[in-house]
Amino acid sequence: MSPKQIVFALALGIALAAGTFVAIRSQAPVAPVSALVLPAPNPVPEFSLLDQQGEMVDQSVFEGQWDLVFFGFTHCPDICPTTLQVLATAKSALVEDGRESLPRIVLVSVDPERDTPEILGQYIDYFGVGNLGLTGTLEEIRKLTDGLGIFFEKQDGDGENYVVDHSAAVLVIDPDGGFHSLFSGPHIVDNYVHDLPILMGGR
Amino acid sequence: MRIATIVLATLLAACGAPEPPLVVSELEVTKPMPGRHMSAGFFVVRNNTPEDIRITAVDSPQFASVEIHETTVTEGISRMREIGAIEIPANGSTVLERGGKHLMLMRPKALGDSVTLQFYSGDTPVLSVDYTFPKDD
Repeated sequence: MSPKQIVFALALGIALAAGTFVAIRSQAPVAPVSALVLPAPNPVPEFSLLDQQGEMVDQSVFEGQWDLVFFGFTHCPDICPTTLQVLATAKSALVEDGRESLPRIVLVSVDPERDTPEILGQYIDYFGVGNLGLTGTLEEIRKLTDGLGIFFEKQDGDGENYVVDHSAAVLVIDPDGGFHSLFSGPHIVDNYVHDLPILMGGR
Repeated sequence: MRIATIVLATLLAACGAPEPPLVVSELEVTKPMPGRHMSAGFFVVRNNTPEDIRITAVDSPQFASVEIHETTVTEGISRMREIGAIEIPANGSTVLERGGKHLMLMRPKALGDSVTLQFYSGDTPVLSVDYTFPKDD
């Protein structure tokens, strides 16, 4: 091989390597398509609620894993199960993609009158194992929702036949217990599958 | 097969076979969640007549009560309300879907493999449809 051929081969090699690098970089996910990331995580406010086993938990329950937190109620036949199913389906898709680190799904009841820990447990177990349900007194739920900017309001109804208006957002809590980002909806599986690895890998 | 269907449909149309005034498609009834006593119904309803049709009530032998509801999400807040009727425009369709208009089916009574829905316009029964739950559901 002549010196010219060596230089040419080297140049070709470098060009190929650079091209591959650019191609990989351009395919890499860079920004969420749906989630809004807060400039800095906000610590979850202090609260004291019951999990689905009836155990008292506080804000530290959000530490140690990523959480997808939805605020709803088990008498809601439409948007609550639909949203939770989107989250469960997105988690399954992430498993199929080979991801080992998965977020936990959390349902905070905005209807503690009807949502006992037992009822909440039956409900969230339907959407997979390892999910967390939180309920308790209205006052303690308000501490959590007010601190996170979540709205809910019980509407007038006939006895037990009432509905609760509530924020439709899904909040992402980081493993330090900080409110990290949110999906405001509409909730679409592909958006979660795209964004969650970016959110969870971005720190 | 497709051509045969089209030919048959054309022949029937040529013979003046009457189109049903209301046709329901894409029907789905959810099963009650564990520990819950309610289901939701979603479908597309087509009005083949030149007049608007209002479905004002729905009942089902499998549920104690059926209501027509609509979920709206405005400025990030989800609200669900009972609405008086499903309006289907003349020669048009209305969609009942997740996050929108839907049937709320409450307090199941000996729920088996299928659900029958009876639609009324005022006191007049206008359509009856059956839904069978998928085997793997």
